[in-house]
Amino acid sequence: MAVVIEPRDPLTQAQGVEAGYAQTGRRWPAQALVRRPHSAAELSGPRGLAHRLPPVKGDLAGYGAKRALGQLLRLRIRVLDEDGAPLPGTVVEVWHCNSAGKYIHPNDTHDAPVDPNFYGAARLLTGDTGLIELRTIKPGAYPVPDSNGWFRPPHVHFSVWGRVWLSRLVTQMFFPGEPLNDTDAILNAIRDPQARGRCIARLVPSTTNELVYEYQLVVRGRNASPGMP
Amino acid sequence: MTRLVPTAEMTLGPFFPREFAQGLHDLAPAAAGAIEITGCVTELDGKPLDNLVLEIWQADGAGRFDSRDFPGWGRAATDAQGNYRFRTIRPGACPGRAPHINFLILYSGLMRQLQTVMFFDHSDDPVLHAVEDRRRKLLVGKQISPTSYRFDIRLRGGDETPFFDD
Repeated sequence: MAVVIEPRDPLTQAQGVEAGYAQTGRRWPAQALVRRPHSAAELSGPRGLAHRLPPVKGDLAGYGAKRALGQLLRLRIRVLDEDGAPLPGTVVEVWHCNSAGKYIHPNDTHDAPVDPNFYGAARLLTGDTGLIELRTIKPGAYPVPDSNGWFRPPHVHFSVWGRVWLSRLVTQMFFPGEPLNDTDAILNAIRDPQARGRCIARLVPSTTNELVYEYQLVVRGRNASPGMP
Repeated sequence: MTRLVPTAEMTLGPFFPREFAQGLHDLAPAAAGAIEITGCVTELDGKPLDNLVLEIWQADGAGRFDSRDFPGWGRAATDAQGNYRFRTIRPGACPGRAPHINFLILYSGLMRQLQTVMFFDHSDDPVLHAVEDRRRKLLVGKQISPTSYRFDIRLRGGDETPFFDD
């Protein structure tokens, strides 16, 4: 299937240097990015990635007596392309901090407790309808080092593959009703309020002991429909 | 007809799980004639970046992107000195393109992915030629032995690597 990738919309995608996020001024290129023509090199992508990136740990809330602390959540995430077509069999990587705001990563120096029953990383494969379901706990907020009072709101990181190399999506999902959402330098780098709103998960009714959130990840690319006669 | 807006990209952050970036830098474990690509990734003032994630996508030796025998895709993370390493094969030319390796860069402080390309020489290639003449040399890997190339990536500052928008 031929895929078309259109230029990013500056209203719905962040633009590089953000005043509230000091590192962006040291890392985002000072020179303008270069537009390039697309060929098979950019409009193809890895196949069979699930073999190189096998699924790991589908339940972050823990097992048996080894249950992670925090509000139990179930995340229902659907991966779609711009045509709304679901992407089955695509790899999704998920990571987030524990309920106290601490990541499993050794570089996290935040003075918050480690939860021995929480391992905040999973890799999943979407099902036939592009869906993944993940049981986990609600991540905490945490202060950003050397940031003069910036606290990250609770969020979940996603890394996902679309149909082609240029469809690669790395993003973060937020929770509704969090006051820190209003001041977060990363969420608010998205200028369009509707696009920003789509980065916030939707709480849906639950009949179990888990709060259920639904979310969509839309990867770049749409079908290059053959011209109708 | 349905038309969805792509989800906003956001930074990888500093805490991408280490195990996600391990064991994926070698695309050619069995291949004779493999090449090594190494480099250092730096920010403003040449400061090296730790735990930055690089992904590559390339053709096989015959210039094909749909090879069944060669994965074409790999991932590596920089060490505390900013160094990364891939082991792969030299890609062939695909129609209309010179041999090249696509690089994608993810890191905290990068609000969205950055894309660049390593070429093997100053070739006649439409993507290399989209870059202004005086900066093209920054996209050509430096051969340091018959089987190894160096491709340093400077995100910002002097001799800044050219990056592409798509």
